Amino acid sequence: MNEQTLFELLQQQGVSRRGFLKYCTALTSLMALPASMIPTVAHALESARRPSVIWLSFQECTGCAESLLRSHSPTIEGLIFDHISLDYQHTLQAAAGDAAEHAREQAIKDNYGKYLVVVDGSIPLADPGYSTIAGMSNLDMLNETLTGAAAVIAVGTCSAYGGLPQADPNPTGAVSVSSLVKDKPVINVPGCPPIPTVITGVLAHYLTFGSIPELDSLGRPKVFYGQSIHDRCYRRPFYDKGLFAETFDDEGAKKGWCLYRLGCKGPMTYNACATLKWNQQTSWPVESGHGCLGCSEPDFWDAGSFYNALSIPDGDYTRAAGYAVATGVVLGAAVGFTNQKTKATAAAQHTNVTVDDFSLNKKNK
Amino acid sequence: MNNEAFSSLEGISVQVENPELETGNFQSILMEIKFSLEQLLEQKKSHIIDLRAMPWSPGEEHKLEKYLGKGEVHIELDALGKSTFYETSYSGIWVVTHYSEDGAVIAKAIEITYMPEMVFSQDEEIKDSLERFEKL
Ligand code: SF4
Ligand code: SF4
Repeated sequence: MNEQTLFELLQQQGVSRRGFLKYCTALTSLMALPASMIPTVAHALESARRPSVIWLSFQECTGCAESLLRSHSPTIEGLIFDHISLDYQHTLQAAAGDAAEHAREQAIKDNYGKYLVVVDGSIPLADPGYSTIAGMSNLDMLNETLTGAAAVIAVGTCSAYGGLPQADPNPTGAVSVSSLVKDKPVINVPGCPPIPTVITGVLAHYLTFGSIPELDSLGRPKVFYGQSIHDRCYRRPFYDKGLFAETFDDEGAKKGWCLYRLGCKGPMTYNACATLKWNQQTSWPVESGHGCLGCSEPDFWDAGSFYNALSIPDGDYTRAAGYAVATGVVLGAAVGFTNQKTKATAAAQHTNVTVDDFSLNKKNK
Repeated sequence: MNNEAFSSLEGISVQVENPELETGNFQSILMEIKFSLEQLLEQKKSHIIDLRAMPWSPGEEHKLEKYLGKGEVHIELDALGKSTFYETSYSGIWVVTHYSEDGAVIAKAIEITYMPEMVFSQDEEIKDSLERFEKL
């Protein structure tokens, strides 16, 4: 761990007190904490030290790292990145081969008991040869790196829940980090990819308070994953009135009606897209006219077509919609529950997307 | 990524196409502001509403800003990128926007206060000024 405090580091860079307060304000907002916490955050950051971070990439597409690194810089995300000591990340570091591996070993030794491990990608158990780094299997590297770790952050749905590699028929025997790690705190930051501000928000929480945020039953920080997409969706009033777009270019779609019948998985998906949005808060999938795919939930690849509404299996939306007018909120919860069930059925039957799913004439189905 | 392109999107005023398409947050924020103004007058207590913490439909946030209007005071700060503070046409209600060095919005809030805290000169730096003067 670097002995310099974050505040000292900022001062050295010529950042004024106001600049520091601005940094704390943005960070407080980023961590989804109430603005009344700004002085507490400032106080904590005055003595916070830079944590060492070892980032391991296993069976992944690099989309999660890209989400974070390409987000925009220099911004608050960039600053967070400057203020952790990223001691190993094989895609980014200049060193390769043995030198890179030595950097990892050195970071473990120097920061034993205090460093954070970030993992993106799942771990193949069917045959270790499916994914190796410097001749070492992903499982061995994870176990070795975890020995002195304070906590693990599983970034992305592959790392958190198995994701795409684990999708049926799971040829590599892919598993999540949390299914392997039982003796360290695991923070799941799912999403395909996760929202960059959520990744940095979790890092910021550790950096600021030296602890991990409160988690839900699936290991996700409640501040970001505590509410469903559906509960925070601005199209919700249409759902409650039973007004649904039927195709991507009908009158309903143009008027911004609910995308539920076009397959939106918002009711069963817990993520922060509806508030934090994407691309520097420019927009988010539902605002751009496409339903939520449910990417922050376990097994979302096996939950049937992205374009089928899963909740009312026989396609009797009219009844559901009529019901929704009276009890929108209650139905929202019920829909979530039915969705879980239907999702399991879809997963068991492993339905593939067909061209018919795009015809979207669901009323007559 | 061209960040300029993104920050220039700010300049485009978005019209709410469908008034039905509103979250209801506009109304609830006005209520929160009214309550906070009472608190400011009676208890001298400031309040910050983080605009990033709630969902908005397209154009709704813009509608709120338009509704509050612009008042007499406009302050610009240059620390880790630009920040703007302006009092709205309602005294005691400020809109505070923090930008990164490349012009992207990193935080935005409505502050119900006499003057946003960050605008004041900061003790630590006043001490530093004094030391510099003593060395003269
Ligand atoms: S179903 Fe989807 S589009 Fe409709 S209100 Fe819920 S999240 Fe929004
Ligand atoms: S809207 Fe849904 S599918 Fe899209 S990124 Fe957010 S959680 Fe994932």
